[in-house]
Amino acid sequence: MNIKRWIAVLLLAFSSALAAQGNLEIDSPAIAALKGAMQQRHARLAPLYAAGAVGQAADGTIALRDASSVPLAQRGQVNSLIAAENADRLALYREIARANDHPEWEADVRRTFAQRWIDRAQPGWWVQRGGSWVRK
Amino acid sequence: MLVAARDPAGRAFARGRRPRGGSVRCFHFLVLLLLIASPPASAFGPMRLSVERVSHPALEVRDLRFEYEPDEGRARLEIAALRLAGQRWSRLRLDCPQARMSLQALECRGGRLRADGRPLPFRLELTLDTAGRRGQLVIADGAGGRVVARLATDGSLRAKLSRLSLQSLASWLPALADWQAEGHFDGEAEWLDRGGAERIRVRGTLTGGGFSSADGLRAGEALGVELELDAHTRSGGWDWSASLGWHEGASFWDPFYLEAGPVLEASGRLRGDRLEVRQANVTLDGVERLAASASVDLARAHVDEAALSLAGADLARVGPRFLAPLLSPARADQLRFAGSVSAGLRLVDGTLVELDAVFVEAGFSLAAPGGGVAFGPLSGHLPWRAGEATRARLQIEGGRWGKLALGAFDLEVALAGTGAHVERARVPLLDGAVVLEGLALRREEAGWSGSGSAFVEPLSMPLVSEALGLPAMTGTLSASLPGLRLRPGEIVLDGALVVSVFDGYLRASGLRVREPFGVGAYLSADVVARHLDLAQLTDTFSFGSISGFIDADVLGLELAHWRPQAFDARIVSSEGRYRKRISQRAVQNISALGGAGAMAALQRSLLGLFETFGYRELGLRCVLRGAVCEMSGIEDGDLADGGFRIIRGGGVPALDVIGYNRRVDWKELVDRLQRVLAENVSPVVR
Repeated sequence: MNIKRWIAVLLLAFSSALAAQGNLEIDSPAIAALKGAMQQRHARLAPLYAAGAVGQAADGTIALRDASSVPLAQRGQVNSLIAAENADRLALYREIARANDHPEWEADVRRTFAQRWIDRAQPGWWVQRGGSWVRK
Repeated sequence: MLVAARDPAGRAFARGRRPRGGSVRCFHFLVLLLLIASPPASAFGPMRLSVERVSHPALEVRDLRFEYEPDEGRARLEIAALRLAGQRWSRLRLDCPQARMSLQALECRGGRLRADGRPLPFRLELTLDTAGRRGQLVIADGAGGRVVARLATDGSLRAKLSRLSLQSLASWLPALADWQAEGHFDGEAEWLDRGGAERIRVRGTLTGGGFSSADGLRAGEALGVELELDAHTRSGGWDWSASLGWHEGASFWDPFYLEAGPVLEASGRLRGDRLEVRQANVTLDGVERLAASASVDLARAHVDEAALSLAGADLARVGPRFLAPLLSPARADQLRFAGSVSAGLRLVDGTLVELDAVFVEAGFSLAAPGGGVAFGPLSGHLPWRAGEATRARLQIEGGRWGKLALGAFDLEVALAGTGAHVERARVPLLDGAVVLEGLALRREEAGWSGSGSAFVEPLSMPLVSEALGLPAMTGTLSASLPGLRLRPGEIVLDGALVVSVFDGYLRASGLRVREPFGVGAYLSADVVARHLDLAQLTDTFSFGSISGFIDADVLGLELAHWRPQAFDARIVSSEGRYRKRISQRAVQNISALGGAGAMAALQRSLLGLFETFGYRELGLRCVLRGAVCEMSGIEDGDLADGGFRIIRGGGVPALDVIGYNRRVDWKELVDRLQRVLAENVSPVVR
């Protein structure tokens, strides 16, 4: 499945899952900008997910779990990539909560996204379950 | 230390106490033991020996068993558990297929080692002249690596190590295996015992070295390291000095990427499991002097205390490597550094407890769309203590915020724990200043939070407009934002920003900056403008000429990267009696903005006949949502044909400007506006 389709499926899934408490597919210029940046970055992250270098953490972020497969000189850049993705993910959760006029939903949005990133991770990717890393 | 040896019948025949000493002494002791156990003959008969326990702070042996079969010429040494220099092994076995033992000599040829039931990749050759107290031990790893150790009559032990593979060694040393060590070591080691004072010297070179933690967050590749170690016993411990010259390869030590170059000179003391690094000096590119000291508990592999002092670090070279990954990993490549810093820091149990940083002409900048921010040159002292309040005093000679240049200012910050408090800071900006008062910030897991007040002392608009690349405007800009609040992802500026411009004023309130440092950064505000002089406004923006005054409300304004994303804007003629004229060109421009059909054909013919026209009122509303502007005109000005009146004519000659496109693509509208402004270049009139 290509990256865009994957993200689209993911976001659709979020929207239906959270329909009861709010609209996760809600759009705003900030959300569009964040999604755009994340989609662009995904092209660089996907090989790292597949190689097991980076995994979907239980808290809705991504984390460096095994850098061994990344060339030494690029491990710092992978750190930067992860930090940038996490900054955008946290901003996205805040923005979705704000766009629903319920900033206090941020933690719920984050929890729901965390579970969905993990549920929708491709086979072979690493996800965090019960505090430990598991390969899907 | 309790030692017990048993004869084949299992009867203890030797028991005694032994003074403290190293492992080599133990080796001597075992030889002695063999001599005691042996019959007074030149060659031994069959022999079985067992030692239950040998214990010492640096060494512990459990269940040592030795068997010798002279008829078969074989010997075997087994140790159930061995602890030596912090390493542990279990089920160690040495098989000697060709063994010979006599009073004068001990030999083991083709010896093979096993640990935990697995064969180790070493072959061992031992010859010992027990009478002459001389001997040689050769260990070969089968891949060209050899250790040749010679025991001399003076009791010294000298070893030559050639192409010793760390990978092979890893099968023997669990600590190396954990770090996936690789590479080859060539060098010499020497052990001397001068009347109870021991001395160890090791010097050598590691080539093609590498290591990696299980998660790859601490790793090195293609390492070339020169090593020298000199240690001698004193008062029950070892005084040591060492040097490490790293001349090849690279290492990633999360979050830092380091390349060959640093040279380390260190000295200290080792006693039991406590390693003291009294003084370590590191030669590092971009740093005049870097020194450290530490106290390490080897048993727990834990740094109990450490101190680091840094002098004359060139921030341009050190910043990107060591500061950027710590300060802002997400934007490490956008951070720039200049100047120098000296610093001292102290850690207890891995936690920072003291920090002093002295900046000299330092500069920091963060590139971002729109210009980013920059501060510097910056000088001063920043002290920080855990559990103690301190004050940092910094002199900042200038800076930049987007396109705006900041003047010199002093900054005094009270620091306590993860909090920072600025009583007052006045940052000169153009001909005015931004003043921050009572700013209290606290660093939390999710980011910075805090509150305070901000004021903008009047800035003259000609300077502001010039700095922002806008057409020259008269007037002033000032702000009073007593409700400044900061939390992760949001800056709230309660209060008002007021621009007195075009003889009226513009007031922005409800200012919020969301995700200020991210791609989704946007600013929201409600803006109201009253009594703006249209003559000045239209002249400034070269839009033709309209005389009169307008009021404007722009509610729910959202700007992303300074571009409007949403608003509900309404422009109406101000109340009152004043001259209302509109030039032919302004009418054309408004019509052009409305697209085709914005003006009735009849009026189009009228337009060519006069330079200016009278009007009674003007009004325009645009609700921007989803990149589309929903347009409407003067209230009650809608026409039966679907048009909406933007200008209602009045006086002689008069004409109406009617709009017909109620849904206008915002980008299209902006493009048209830019075209209109570009095609109507005229001198600025104030």
